[in-house]
Amino acid sequence: MFTEPFMQRALLAALFLGPLCALLGVFVTARRMAFFSDTISHGALTGVALGFWLGMPDPTAPLILFSLLIAGAIVWLRERTDLVTDTIMALLLSWSVAIGMIILSLLRRRPGDIHRFLFGDILAIGPLEVWLAAGLFVFVGVGVFLKLNDLSLITVQEEMAHVCGVPVRKLNFLFVIVLTLTVAVTIRLLGIILVTSLIVIPPATARSLSGNLRQQILLSLGIGLFGALTGTALSYALNVPCGPMIVVTCIVLFVVSLGVRALKRAVPKPALA
Amino acid sequence: MHLCPEHQGPLVVETRNLRVTLGGRSILDGVNFRVPKGQLVALIGPNGSGKTTLLRCLLGLQKPDSGEVRLFGESDVREALPRIGYVPQRLDLERSFILSVREFLALRMENTRHWFWQAHKTNDQLIRSSVAEIGVEELLDRPLAHLSGGQLQRVLIAFSLLRNPELLLLDEPTAGVDTPGEQTFYDLIADVQQRRKLTVVLVSHDLSMVFRQASWVYALNGVICCEGHPEHVMNAESLKQAYGIHVSPYHHHHHH
Repeated sequence: MFTEPFMQRALLAALFLGPLCALLGVFVTARRMAFFSDTISHGALTGVALGFWLGMPDPTAPLILFSLLIAGAIVWLRERTDLVTDTIMALLLSWSVAIGMIILSLLRRRPGDIHRFLFGDILAIGPLEVWLAAGLFVFVGVGVFLKLNDLSLITVQEEMAHVCGVPVRKLNFLFVIVLTLTVAVTIRLLGIILVTSLIVIPPATARSLSGNLRQQILLSLGIGLFGALTGTALSYALNVPCGPMIVVTCIVLFVVSLGVRALKRAVPKPALA
Repeated sequence: MHLCPEHQGPLVVETRNLRVTLGGRSILDGVNFRVPKGQLVALIGPNGSGKTTLLRCLLGLQKPDSGEVRLFGESDVREALPRIGYVPQRLDLERSFILSVREFLALRMENTRHWFWQAHKTNDQLIRSSVAEIGVEELLDRPLAHLSGGQLQRVLIAFSLLRNPELLLLDEPTAGVDTPGEQTFYDLIADVQQRRKLTVVLVSHDLSMVFRQASWVYALNGVICCEGHPEHVMNAESLKQAYGIHVSPYHHHHHH
């Protein structure tokens, strides 16, 4: 399994993207942005379709561009209209899925081509995707590490963060861009439909096992890493799509974490002598 | 005993003829608001009277259409931010975000950097003394998102005091607190204010609660419609008629 170049690339991508999604996920879930991530990933379908339409063999570039466009549209509509954010996102999500599917049908693509984008495909991870994943991993890892205090303060309360001297607007903007790029790159591994699960499940799993944010971040990183690597390896071994396998691995960890938590509560700590 | 604000030394907060229009609706229509150094001033008014907007102007979060805001004599509000402690009405916290009280307080310390808030000796001592002052030592290891309304407000006070501010701004700090808890909370604020010689602006919808601690009261309803000592404002007919603020004589016996 480890000697095949495509598998090496897939495992490398999983090594970078698992922890990256899990780290961002801690803040995405706390800031109620899971649906935002879902909207961006579904928006990518139109990007994929446009790429095929333009005759590109690998639609990574239009996929990323279209995700950024959708993110921009959400932010722009939220500031310019009275529409509730959820409505804006549901609108954009269904719009871009509809347009994407219509274009793909008109192009008479084989269902298999669409499937690979909907549910992830280890064969789709090329050198470009690995480099993108590595670059994002380094950039976001360092960024979050340096701005951890500011990011946490914004998550607690934005006005308070402002009074503490945090550049709230700038940091929010950066966070949206970074999240969008991460989602767009991770789509190749997990697929449009499942990408948000790698952002949501690891922090949720870590949460039931930790008592403070430090533990939640570290555990979430570990769970994201383990889930992505194990899922990718199992997907090869069982010859099933990679996205669903990663999700199933993460969910197994989640259920185990609930069990551990229940056990911890049922068995009181021994009293100190 | 109390003098009107003009005669009490330097002004910490001053707005001149402040006007704000939001979505075509006039929210503040020429507000003059002054807080002298070392005073505990209450800003009262019903919901929608512009209290929060005025506070946002003071913090530089809302640009006024016209008029002026000065903090510590500075017209650039951002310059004054390091001297301000701010306690918001509520947090946007999701229960899944399990930032502990200790971690939260460490976010305010200048030298808390990276290493995921590993205990730092000086920090930890400062944090300990700040929670001791407010009486929330036992909450240090609890997640912030799991505290009750009253506990959370106390932790927020401890947070806002960490960098030794000169001005404390509190926006409806007792919104999520029950009535008996509310009174002890205001007593705590008055106590801290006296001890640290702070200037405090307390925003509240309810005059009867801040009656005991405030040295001066501004009643806001788009404009400052009434100002003075709490006794004066409480008995002002114009105030009651104008917008029926809850001005029960609940605390009169404390003062005679």
